[in-house]
Amino acid sequence: MSACLRETQVDTYIKLVKAGLDMVYLVSDSVSTSKIKPFREAFPDRVINVGIAEQNLLGIAAGLANGGFVTVTGNATAFLISRSNEQMKVDVSYTNSNVKVNGLHAGFSYGTDGCTHHEPNDVSVVRGFPNFEIYAPCDPAECAQVTEYALTKRFGPVYISLNTGNFPVITGGGYRFVPGTPVQFAQGADLTVVALGTAAHDVLAAARDLGGAAAMDVFCVSSVRPLDFGPIADSIRKTGRALTVEQHSTHGGVGSLVAEGIAERGLGAKLRRLGVPEGSYTKNWTAPDNKAFFGLDPAGIRKAIVEILAER
Amino acid sequence: MTAAEIEAKAKEIKRMVIRTVTGAKGGHVGTSLSEVDILATLYFGVLNLDPAHPDLVDRDRFILSKGHGSEGLYCSLAAKGFFPREVLGTYLRHDCPLTIHPTRHVPGVEMNTGALGHGFSNAVGVALSARLRKRGYRAFVLTGDGELQEGSNWEAAMSAAHFELGNLTVIVDNNGLQLSDRVDRTMRIEPLDEKFRSFGFDVHKVDGHSVPELLGILSALDYGGKKPHAIIARTTKGKGVSFMEGVPEWHHRVPTPEEGERALKELEL
Repeated sequence: MSACLRETQVDTYIKLVKAGLDMVYLVSDSVSTSKIKPFREAFPDRVINVGIAEQNLLGIAAGLANGGFVTVTGNATAFLISRSNEQMKVDVSYTNSNVKVNGLHAGFSYGTDGCTHHEPNDVSVVRGFPNFEIYAPCDPAECAQVTEYALTKRFGPVYISLNTGNFPVITGGGYRFVPGTPVQFAQGADLTVVALGTAAHDVLAAARDLGGAAAMDVFCVSSVRPLDFGPIADSIRKTGRALTVEQHSTHGGVGSLVAEGIAERGLGAKLRRLGVPEGSYTKNWTAPDNKAFFGLDPAGIRKAIVEILAER
Repeated sequence: MTAAEIEAKAKEIKRMVIRTVTGAKGGHVGTSLSEVDILATLYFGVLNLDPAHPDLVDRDRFILSKGHGSEGLYCSLAAKGFFPREVLGTYLRHDCPLTIHPTRHVPGVEMNTGALGHGFSNAVGVALSARLRKRGYRAFVLTGDGELQEGSNWEAAMSAAHFELGNLTVIVDNNGLQLSDRVDRTMRIEPLDEKFRSFGFDVHKVDGHSVPELLGILSALDYGGKKPHAIIARTTKGKGVSFMEGVPEWHHRVPTPEEGERALKELEL
């Protein structure tokens, strides 16, 4: 069964408030974007709409956190990362406010609304802000756990990057989200593949298409910060080569994380990064067309894997 | 505390500012002297605070949006008893919480500020939290006048009126100067009273160096009502020190030891 990550979050909010969590949810006219209506119907006083004013959104959020609320914001990350950048830095990160910031429609998942609405740099930018923990959940089950952790276990800033669409559960029935731990989906000795968040779905589809032709360790980094790079490093020591896949710029996302990990540990492995190449705009196209253009769909990932394996 | 007692406190805080800036060889002395009469009135006549318990849920919150006025704030907090006065001697030292722009590492500071145009929105959030909780605590924010050139302030103003936050008061330190020049020559912001009124504020213009006037207004506002309050406080940068008053370079210039002594003498009169 597939589900929308935002709707999964809203279900989690309702459950947590019913259990006694003192939270408020802030939108900047982004009522439909955040899919918050069921929560607002249940708790009308806990949703605050600041209008189309993203700087004010984050500034007010920090003030509400100062007043003791677990404060959550939800808007399109394209209008968050750039427009509210200094509020993210000063009011939330530097002040270390207990604010949970949801970046919705991450990557190019806003589709044909185009470059103004796309944000392939959110993880990269938030990595520049200390105090923020950063997550990109890969499926509804993990999204619910990340959300519950962020609101109930973590006192301080959290950024959650959410891709758009319905996603099936791939983490398995007994999966327990642990901050910092990469999720491993498959094992193999030929190649290490690391996906950011929901890009794991396309990697797994590519792996299925390849059948037994590629023996790969497949990881998903849904916990960008904190991140225990140890399991990925161990895998790269074994395979000697890595591929990263993300609906994000190749600068500052999981491609950069893996490159840094390889260099800092002296792993000497070859790395190929699939994503939106640094210095490129996305296309004003649908998300599937952008995926195909940047080689991030299963066919593109499969092609990259075949090419890498043919190099040896 | 009576107005006369607060005036004496303000003068004492101004002397603390001169000693702090001169000793540290850094700071924003002009902007701090501009705000001290307002801060002294707030901390000794208006704000419901307990320096021994700076995190009490029901405390009033004061946010210094013009974060470069940190010495005025630190000296007011020390005078109020949030931390020992000797700590002021560590201003700007490495590993000392008294940094040039304030942070929450200092007892009594509510938000990290320094980048302009942030505190007003923070105060809206604080005031909203009180209303949502049906609590009586209030939000006060001090902005510069040049700072109001930042558009984010007007997002905050719009929302304070929309959310009917009578428990929010914005005070404008209206000294007419910004870093490089006069505010009106840089980017006009007047008429501030009409601007705030048109946004839905209860507006008062006061002499920002008259403690009786400040105390009178701030004690009489309808904090339980639906209109947020804007106090436009006419001030003079460098107030109290003749050779600093109204001189833009004293925004950031540090007094020499001799200038510091002269300033202290003037503030003893």
